[in-house]
Amino acid sequence: MSNQTQTTREPTMEGEPTPEKTGAIDIENLTKVYDPEGERVVAVDDMDLQIGAEEFVALLGPSGCGKSTVMNCIAGYLEPTEGEVLVDGNRVSGPDPKRGVVFQDNRLFPWKTIQENVEFGPQMNDGVEEGRARSILDEMGLDGFEDAYPSGLSGGMQQRAELARLLANDPDIMLMDEPFSALDALTKEIMQKKLIEVWERDNRTVLFITHDVEEAILLADRVVVMTARPGQVKDVIDVDLDRPRDPEVVTTDRFTELRERALSVIREEAQRALEQEEGEV
Amino acid sequence: MSTVEQVKRRFGAGTVPLLTKRLRQALSVVLFFALWAVLVRLEVLGFGRFVGPVPALSTFVSALLGAPMTGSGATIYQHAAFSAMRVVVAMVLATATAIPLGLLIGANRRWEDALFPALEVFRPVPPVAWVPIALLLLPTFRSGVLFVVFVGAFFPILVNTIEGVDTVDEEYLRAAESLGADSREVFRHVIFPATLPSIVTGVSTGVGLAWITVVAAEMIAGGIGIGYIIFQAYRLLQTDVVAVGMIAIGVLGYASAALVYRIGNRLTEWQTID
Repeated sequence: MSNQTQTTREPTMEGEPTPEKTGAIDIENLTKVYDPEGERVVAVDDMDLQIGAEEFVALLGPSGCGKSTVMNCIAGYLEPTEGEVLVDGNRVSGPDPKRGVVFQDNRLFPWKTIQENVEFGPQMNDGVEEGRARSILDEMGLDGFEDAYPSGLSGGMQQRAELARLLANDPDIMLMDEPFSALDALTKEIMQKKLIEVWERDNRTVLFITHDVEEAILLADRVVVMTARPGQVKDVIDVDLDRPRDPEVVTTDRFTELRERALSVIREEAQRALEQEEGEV
Repeated sequence: MSTVEQVKRRFGAGTVPLLTKRLRQALSVVLFFALWAVLVRLEVLGFGRFVGPVPALSTFVSALLGAPMTGSGATIYQHAAFSAMRVVVAMVLATATAIPLGLLIGANRRWEDALFPALEVFRPVPPVAWVPIALLLLPTFRSGVLFVVFVGAFFPILVNTIEGVDTVDEEYLRAAESLGADSREVFRHVIFPATLPSIVTGVSTGVGLAWITVVAAEMIAGGIGIGYIIFQAYRLLQTDVVAVGMIAIGVLGYASAALVYRIGNRLTEWQTID
């Protein structure tokens, strides 16, 4: 399943050189038009973006800017109208277990227990390995909840369980669509820390969609700011803050600089989006 | 203590209930019989022609002891067994056809176009309206009655199953696909379990309609069964037997609804856990 060709992009994280890095995403001239025969809503217009293997990229933009459309094209849920998405050089033509997805409000299967949810991916692919689900659940702080149904868990625990389900499948790429936006501040901070921990250890590519500027800078190697609809790349901000980043990093001057830069772009685009909407009404 | 708590305490709704739940439930039955007795005694509307609760209960007891009902010579158990058997067989046939058909129509647009419009025309036709055609087309009255009961149960199960499939959140399907499930696995692990609560609702509605239909059909063409004895007794002006038949239907309907409810809860256990 992982016979992808290596891409040329330099890794932005230092670390032990792995023999073959996987999980590079190459978005080329991506255009997505909804309802091309009728109203023609251009969600994404001729977007280019390269994401390196094992890179952590945050996709930031005003709501309705096509962030989720981009993610859905990478996940293979949507067919691009024009252009294409390549993963490790191969054209994306549908969903694949190597590209795992975390949904905004988790999509744990309510009719399966937490353990059954976590074992679902392996069950569909290489087979369930005894004890592996349990160890992942332990790591996520969900020991003792193996036999619970998702409805018996808090929002934060559900989101951790969804992350556990994804990790059990060992994907190269994690696509996360505003995964923590529904959580309270404290739970959110814990989840962010957990995510970074997992990412630093396991060498996966992460595409993290958010509308929260601070979250984007705190987590990502690069923050890609999108324009208002039709979505394009407006600005790419390299986050040169040292890792590990503790929550206090938000008080540093460099963080403030990066945030202001991102915010000014966002404000401009949000304003433009507003005017667009008013124009449409 | 808040005002609400005071009020609750005064009216016994707090920790010390005025009556236990069982007692209150028993009270509702007693009140029902009292109302019945009063209506008969005061001859409200046509109640003067109807039997009172005491003779009805005495007929009920002798029926339970095995006395033959009306002129047929069969006991209440034989009649009840026939009606129940019709409901059970019709339910088995209806679930075995309506659930797969509903899943097929719901999961596949092409099947929906090919099958659903025709079914949609038949759906609003009350099951009892099928009686004449069933009697004409089927070789025996008994198979005709069975067919009509089947029709009564079939549509609620079908419609609820289709609607259940239609309302499965697409992101569950996406999640399953991204975890590596193929379309067969998506159906088995996502579409079917996600639809199960709707199917259970359909079966509950179906079993209720099956009882309504079986009584109506037996009145017209049963030969045997509770609906048949209710109507026979009416013709013979044995109003105590009419009352006994109604009670029997009530008990059987309640028991089968409770059974479906229990099985349904067991199957969708994940839903009720908080």
